[in-house]
Amino acid sequence: MATLDHALAHTAPRPTGVVGWITTVDHKRIGILYMITAVVFFIASGILALLMRAELAQPGLQIMDESTYNQAFTIHGTGMMLLFATPLVAGFANYFVPLHVGAPDVAFPRLNALTYWLYALGGLVVFSGFLTASGAASFGWTGYAPLSDSTYTPGAGVDLWIIGLILVGFSSILGAVNLMATIFGMRAPGMTMFRLPIFIWNMIVTLALIMFSFPVLTAALAALFIDRNFGGGFFDPAQGGDPILWQHLFWFFGHPEVYVVILPFFGVVTEIIPVFSRKPLFGYRGFVFATLLIGAYSFTVWAHHMFTTGSVDNPFFSAMTMLIAVPTGVKFFSWIATMWRGKLRFQTPMLFTMGFLFMFLIGGITGIFVASPPIDLAVHDTYYVVAHMHYVLFGGTVFAMFAAFYYWIPKMSGRMMGERLGKLHFWLMLLGFNVTFFPMHQLGLDGMQRRIPDYLPERGFDTLNALSTVGSAIVAMSILVFISNFLLSMKKGAPAGDDPWGGNTLEWATTSPPPHHNFRSLPPIVSERPVFDARHGVHGDG
Amino acid sequence: MATSLLGSCTPRAVTAQGRDVNTLYDIFFWIAAGVFVITAGLIAWSIIRYRAKPGDEDLPKQFRHNLKLEITWFAIPQAIVIVLFVLSALTLTDVNERVPEPAATVNVTAYQWGWRFAYEGTDVEVVGTPQQPAEILVPTGNLAFLLTSADVVHAFYVPKFLIKRDTIPGRTTRLDVAVEAPGTFDGECAEFCGLLHHRMPFTIEAVSPDQFQSWLDDMSAEI
Ligand code: HEM
Ligand SMILES: [Cu+2]
Ligand SMILES: [Cu+2]
Repeated sequence: MATLDHALAHTAPRPTGVVGWITTVDHKRIGILYMITAVVFFIASGILALLMRAELAQPGLQIMDESTYNQAFTIHGTGMMLLFATPLVAGFANYFVPLHVGAPDVAFPRLNALTYWLYALGGLVVFSGFLTASGAASFGWTGYAPLSDSTYTPGAGVDLWIIGLILVGFSSILGAVNLMATIFGMRAPGMTMFRLPIFIWNMIVTLALIMFSFPVLTAALAALFIDRNFGGGFFDPAQGGDPILWQHLFWFFGHPEVYVVILPFFGVVTEIIPVFSRKPLFGYRGFVFATLLIGAYSFTVWAHHMFTTGSVDNPFFSAMTMLIAVPTGVKFFSWIATMWRGKLRFQTPMLFTMGFLFMFLIGGITGIFVASPPIDLAVHDTYYVVAHMHYVLFGGTVFAMFAAFYYWIPKMSGRMMGERLGKLHFWLMLLGFNVTFFPMHQLGLDGMQRRIPDYLPERGFDTLNALSTVGSAIVAMSILVFISNFLLSMKKGAPAGDDPWGGNTLEWATTSPPPHHNFRSLPPIVSERPVFDARHGVHGDG
Repeated sequence: MATSLLGSCTPRAVTAQGRDVNTLYDIFFWIAAGVFVITAGLIAWSIIRYRAKPGDEDLPKQFRHNLKLEITWFAIPQAIVIVLFVLSALTLTDVNERVPEPAATVNVTAYQWGWRFAYEGTDVEVVGTPQQPAEILVPTGNLAFLLTSADVVHAFYVPKFLIKRDTIPGRTTRLDVAVEAPGTFDGECAEFCGLLHHRMPFTIEAVSPDQFQSWLDDMSAEI
């Protein structure tokens, strides 16, 4: 096995109970801490969304004033992107990267614990803005200058938002370095780059995106902090600064960020589809190539968020944005060809994966529309964009997250999740999600702007808004079904055994949950699916 | 709320530039519909056709690649997006083009939370507030809006023009349109700008050039 040196040093008895969790440096426990914390932020940000939907159900201000609404969508967006989706990636990566590459832990276990605690602290700092006199940040998760400057949005809530996100930014950067070192330094013997599980390839690109994009965000936030508190003037036109500079910096981070929260989930579904089709991934190398191409392109498209400013070279950014759809299309065809002539089984992980395919397809297609500058000039900052981004982020990331949970919770806990409640969860969520977000396309085309707590009755937006609010309640119900399923299954679920699905990758070659330091022995690694090979007695590539 | 999943769903524009966008949107819509039907159809077909039969434990055939196929499914989407890009770039040039000899040039200043409209070459100015939104007249024909902001970023958005443009402090941006027929068009602020962002409506009424001129004279006389 690879490097056990540092790890075997832990011979003293490990603390148990709460202290054990707080002091842990075990990648699996840290992974679980990340996932639980991320889900808590998902629920908190989701509750903000339900409140916004309740407010929008009919014209007039019913349950909150403008200021509260503005805080709600700001912290909803920030929370979902930076305190839920990104750390959730860190959670899955922490737990499964070492298992997938056949390592006993990550390269730097203590640094790993530090990154988790930085994140947890940063998240609390962001949310603590609600406790200040002027409330939390209220200018959208994009923090556009000069609105985010102290002249227009004074108050400690904003500084807490900045400081919290800087902490989260450092956490992400350090975590990415750690995992990258693990993948490149600690692979099991025989695991060459082209035998890496595809999840790991997607993680490699994700980690690189984090390493190049988060420093830019962190620097921009620091500049904003200086502007607000020390008269820096980076983004203030009155002092020779430039508000458009903020947009460039933010989106130079912001666009790669959307790939940070989707690529790992491309990885997840690309592990699940072969297992549940009982076939190898079709076009492994093409898939890797497509992933690398997405990573490279994703740094060349940021200004597609700025077409309406009239100050970017529109054709270039538009061209790159459309091109990035091509490798994504390649992935779709790989997935379909993997299922083609397979023997497909539709347990819950595969059901959520199918939900992902259809929903992400819709989000990807509307992405081509908004990549076209003239169309974007029409739909930018309307509910069309809100619809598009939720088809990508919710239809993509969240559906794939649940696929991953149903697939991997048996490994992490040793117990199967209930299938009946799992299916109920899936169908409710699919229904609720589409009822919530599909009508938003039409609202946007009809001219409803985003980030408004109210609209005039004569604009004719009420029916679709009411429908959308009903949908959000169905989504909320589906999440409750998941939580009940989880709690019941952890108590009474059937034992999972080592390999309940007939898996491909190394996590299925050890117990559920895996022991401290993961493996007692490893099967020979001759392809990207060593456990499949061992099960079927295959001894060579292909 | 003319919802129809068949036909395109954008509201029909009242400007020449907006109609170009309508046309482009329609083309995108039908290509997208085709891509969706094919891709979703293949997924649905796999789900239905290749579902495992209960008790069938044999492995299916383990095929892994087919270079020709992979090149094809890279090349076809690549070709589609190139076409879409070229169409977009052409339309963009059209909608960004300055209109010749505008019948009126309006200097628009957005502020928290309202709009100030000043007609170039006159002393006429119309200022709106959240309580009393601005209502302005313009002549039909070519119009140029020169946009800026007194404080934060806003966006000048008349849904029936389709095209919107940000107003940015310290810069002037520009929106050129050719309004084709008389009518009344509601406007909004599209870029989030703080507390009362949703309360920046304004109204533009397009009238015949003669009517416009007499309105302008009346307004001038009032000052
Ligand atoms: C029950 C599920 C959800 C509902 C009902 C919901 C609803 C909404 C609504 C109504 C808005 C628009 C607010 C406005 O513009 O006035 C919004 C914005 C947003 N949502 Fe969600 N959302 C949900 C889940 C998610 C998830 C899972 C993510 C990401 C992973 C997400 C990310 C965002 C972002 C980034 C924004 C933009 C915030 C901003 O304008 O600053 N949402 N959401
Ligand atoms: Cu982007
Ligand atoms: Cu505004």
